[in-house]
Amino acid sequence: MGEAEIVELLQKNIPDGLFSVGTPRTRKVLAEIAPGAIRKATETLLGKGARFIIIAAVDEGLDVNLLYHFDLEGKIVVLKVKLGKENPEIGTIADLTPAAEWAEREAAELCRVRFKNHPKPGHLVVSDKLPEGTFPLSKPFKPKLPDKIVPVAEAIITVGATAPISSLVERRRAEAGLPPRPPASYSSEPQLKEVHELIQQTNFSKRAGYDWERKKLRGVKK
Amino acid sequence: MKKYALFLGCMIPQRLPSAELATRKIFNSLELEIAEMAGYTCCPDPILARLMDRKVALSMSARNLSIAEKQGLDIVVLCNGCFETLWEANKEMKHEETSKEINELLAKIGRKYNGTINVRHIVEVLHGDVGIEAIKKQVKKPLGLKLAVHYGCHLFREENGGDIWRKPKQFEELISATGAEVVHSDIDQLCCGFPTSQVDEEFSLKHNLLPKLERYQQMGVDGVVVVCPACNVQFESGQLALRRYGAKFSIPCLHLVELLALAFGVPAKELSLEFHRSPVSQLAARIG
Repeated sequence: MGEAEIVELLQKNIPDGLFSVGTPRTRKVLAEIAPGAIRKATETLLGKGARFIIIAAVDEGLDVNLLYHFDLEGKIVVLKVKLGKENPEIGTIADLTPAAEWAEREAAELCRVRFKNHPKPGHLVVSDKLPEGTFPLSKPFKPKLPDKIVPVAEAIITVGATAPISSLVERRRAEAGLPPRPPASYSSEPQLKEVHELIQQTNFSKRAGYDWERKKLRGVKK
Repeated sequence: MKKYALFLGCMIPQRLPSAELATRKIFNSLELEIAEMAGYTCCPDPILARLMDRKVALSMSARNLSIAEKQGLDIVVLCNGCFETLWEANKEMKHEETSKEINELLAKIGRKYNGTINVRHIVEVLHGDVGIEAIKKQVKKPLGLKLAVHYGCHLFREENGGDIWRKPKQFEELISATGAEVVHSDIDQLCCGFPTSQVDEEFSLKHNLLPKLERYQQMGVDGVVVVCPACNVQFESGQLALRRYGAKFSIPCLHLVELLALAFGVPAKELSLEFHRSPVSQLAARIG
């Protein structure tokens, strides 16, 4: 089975959870998939005779990347799964390929990843003397921006201003005979939407790790 | 009647609405018209926000410029920091490659900036477009005050080869036009410490603000005049914060537009000077 056929195989079998797939070099296929697609992708590869090799867990600060390596007829197939560190959990594949059992335990112990339904979770590679809750390869979960820039960046992305106007100031402005709010973007839903679109177009919010649902930079301590 | 797009920025509406009120009052007296900039954003802030990402900072500035350009108006700015950001962005947008790069982003939100307007500091507008004589004509209550001047770092931004003292001198002449005496210290150009306070508050208070306040006290000034809300916040909140280190000061700090409004005879109560955290209301009461 050639690289192009492996690409086609993945495209056909995981149409929803496949974010991208390509061949970065000969004899290698790299696919980025959703966490929920890992079991289906594993079954697909194993069904074609693939051999599980290893899981490399790489902590990037805000996310952990799990790189599932398989060998399929001499080609390395890597399934890359990004887990947000807010909830670094994924289903086990150890029941599909027993060789993954230790690899998952290693990733769990070193990088704080939880493998749901793992058949035999527990201590594997780190010293027994290590205090509980210590994950040697886990980086701090904090924003990518320098600390001093975080509040400003978060406010600018959220409301288009360095500080949103408070209800107290709104009241005091009205008492002073001014409109409660200035004509700034945060005073108008359509204008603020436009500002958000612009920021998204620059890709800054993604690079800074901004969570549009929570309206917060990821990794900011509450 | 000359008309300008008024850029209020973030700090004036939030921390210093009295300067917003004063601007509207003096523009009315000087027969200058204000157009609101509906949907404007942070300039963005020249100290921290511009460091976070060049593209997002420049595109936000260009969007602000496009709002004024759509109205065919120059922008007037009440803040040194906003002035620097918008003025520099305007310059950058004159470069073909930058303009193309940023306008591609603006096009996605249905905007475009052609680079046809100017960014004007309030000092330039009052001194250059209105003129000192016209200002003096509006002075109903000559201010017999002794005032220190704090220029603010970004007021010195000028075209390459231009006179960096152009706007600071204009600023002084505008204070003098009110009948007040401008007094100088040897550290008038020292930063107030607002930018450094973002990183190290104690350093900014002790090494920037404190020496300035000590000089002002020695000179016996009635107050200090600024043209930047960030400097104003630093002078006012800073005086309160310095009490933690045993230094007590009570020096009024106000924006040039507020000083002019008082000289033009606008009653202090119409300016809501109680937004200040230094004794500006008391200073205004002395003017009567």
